[in-house]
Amino acid sequence: MTSAPVPVRVARRLSERRLAILFVAPALLLLAVTLVWPLILALDLSVRDVRFIGQSGDFVGLANYADTLNSTRFWESAGRSLIWVVGNAVVQTALALAAALILHQRFPGVQIARVWILLTWIVPTVVVVIIWRWLLSNSGGMINPLLVQSGVINAPVGFFASRESAMTTLILINAWRWFPFVTLMILAALTRIPADLDEAARMDGAGRWKRFSRITWPLLQPTLAVLLVVGTLLSFNVFDIIWLITAGGPSAGTQTLPVLIYETAFRGYEMSQAAAMSVLTGLFLMVFAVMASRGMSREAGP
Amino acid sequence: MTRLTPTLTLAALLMASGAAVAQTELMLWHMEQPPHRVERIQVLIDEFNAAHPDIVVRQEPQNWGEIYAKAPAALAAGNAPDMLFAIPDFVPILKELGAVQDVGAFVVTLDERHDLLDSAVASYSYDNGVWAVPLYNMAMSLWYHRDMFETAGIAVPSTWTEWLAATEALTKDGVFGIGLPASKGLYTDQVIYTFMANNGASEIYNADGSFAFDTPATAEAYAMAAAMQQFSPPDSAGWFWGDAEACFASRACASIVQFTTITTFDTQGGGNAAALGVAPIPRADGQSDHATIAYANAVMLLADDAEKRAAFETFITWLMEPAKYGRFLNMEPGLFLPVTADGASAESFWANPMAQKYRSQIETMIANSANGRLFGFTGGNTFPSIAPISGQNVLSEVLQAVVIDGADPAAAVAAGQARMEEIAQ
Repeated sequence: MTSAPVPVRVARRLSERRLAILFVAPALLLLAVTLVWPLILALDLSVRDVRFIGQSGDFVGLANYADTLNSTRFWESAGRSLIWVVGNAVVQTALALAAALILHQRFPGVQIARVWILLTWIVPTVVVVIIWRWLLSNSGGMINPLLVQSGVINAPVGFFASRESAMTTLILINAWRWFPFVTLMILAALTRIPADLDEAARMDGAGRWKRFSRITWPLLQPTLAVLLVVGTLLSFNVFDIIWLITAGGPSAGTQTLPVLIYETAFRGYEMSQAAAMSVLTGLFLMVFAVMASRGMSREAGP
Repeated sequence: MTRLTPTLTLAALLMASGAAVAQTELMLWHMEQPPHRVERIQVLIDEFNAAHPDIVVRQEPQNWGEIYAKAPAALAAGNAPDMLFAIPDFVPILKELGAVQDVGAFVVTLDERHDLLDSAVASYSYDNGVWAVPLYNMAMSLWYHRDMFETAGIAVPSTWTEWLAATEALTKDGVFGIGLPASKGLYTDQVIYTFMANNGASEIYNADGSFAFDTPATAEAYAMAAAMQQFSPPDSAGWFWGDAEACFASRACASIVQFTTITTFDTQGGGNAAALGVAPIPRADGQSDHATIAYANAVMLLADDAEKRAAFETFITWLMEPAKYGRFLNMEPGLFLPVTADGASAESFWANPMAQKYRSQIETMIANSANGRLFGFTGGNTFPSIAPISGQNVLSEVLQAVVIDGADPAAAVAAGQARMEEIAQ
């Protein structure tokens, strides 16, 4: 068998490249239309003075960026976003890890439990909001009477009555909604851990905790690292639950960056200002994603 | 004759098609989304279309939460409706885009025919024009459980001193004397404004456009609202309109400040009309009159076209006739109040079973609405910055600073004015 002459191979490679480009082109075009073009529009909007949709606005250069970077509200909201993301990451991961470890066991009904746990994730956000608003209400809600009867509190409390309690309650509600997704990911990772490793450790006399801390936990790290990046980006952008339950209140206590951007654009009628905030926020998230990806690649080794 | 028939048939067809071409189409966007309201509007539209073959009105229900962004986008895209329902703070946004037509002359005609409520027209009258036709009014009142007041031996309060004492006395055994919102939202804006209006602090702007918010009277109103909050459910920092009604219907709140609670009370609160009390919102000691927040929902004309304007006027004129107007208002019985004198006495309005059952309450609501006003739309002093000030709920932000953060009312009001000035810039 003889190989094709060089010009033929080059020609074949070129035509393969053309074919590859042809195959990828629709996807690239779709990306350009749905991602790049809106991004360009947002950039254009952010250097203008547009208040409402439909106005063309004058070119104002980087004034909106300067205003945003000098705005106390922006940085305060960024701080609240950080609390929101970290709070969600901790609570969701803890809940999901516990649930995944339980669901990884063999017990009667485990298959039903694995499906059933998805319920909170399937339920539409509006339904989640209605359920929790009702449960936490002082007028007929169940949580307050339960806490009073069990002696945890003396009188009904307002879960959204202070900045701290409102943020904590929202984090718990959002974590409750999203932890099934994380559970499934961790469960998938758990099933990939070879059973003989655990079995060998057991034979060597390792206890449950030792097997978990020396085998399960280290082997879960790559999955947890991916979840950290994806989860951070997802929970950072959560808007619906916060807006529908507290609208950023009380006293701006739950006003994260997405809420501030929405308010600026559609309540304050400062489209360009909101676009500048969005671009800056997008940049922060991009830097985080790149750094996290590099960190993961470094840990994974060559 | 035989030869003539095809010719006549053709002529008739041509005339029919000519008539179809001459039809003027009017697209109406409104935000009355509940199905029963959409259905009632459709019934009226169908009747109008049947009676006016040259005009075709269609409706597209929208969402209040989205319309502030959707309407400017629709205008930019050239898909705007011809008629759009509005509340006063929505109008300046579209007016700034040059999309709203002056309907002053038409409103004068309607006023001559039906005697429109002055305060309803005032909210849309500025910049040498009238920018929407008022359709139905809403006014806040103090709603209370008669039996709770009677059992406690408490008279319905008229002044702030009486109100605070009554509310404190009623707060016991798991019942809250009053349900007042302290959330960041329009409901809280509206309730806090009733406190301001009842202390003579109803003006947000001076005539020159500078702000008149930072006054001792405003600070006193916030101090009073904060004092009353002690006797309100602790979750009221997250309340919207429905939460107050739920608290009232479940008897966890002895009273609330609300536009209406008739439907909720009737369906969830026992429905004994004699047990449902309604009164003017108490005034500050020293004030002579009760005041409240009231505003008319209205319809804007967006179409810049003589034919569509004529069709719009025909449709609204038809709708405001007492025989139809009462049925229009009763798309939500006990909430929407008439803005015309003949509408207030219209048989079509009072014939509704719910209106008959709660007639005395509705009459009190109508009486309360006579002394109603709306922040940013008083005394002809209306400026474009009212839209973002209202949109960002600055009035309730100030209340939250006092109630949640424990700020001094005077300092919070001063900070609120600074925030308004920042927004206006």
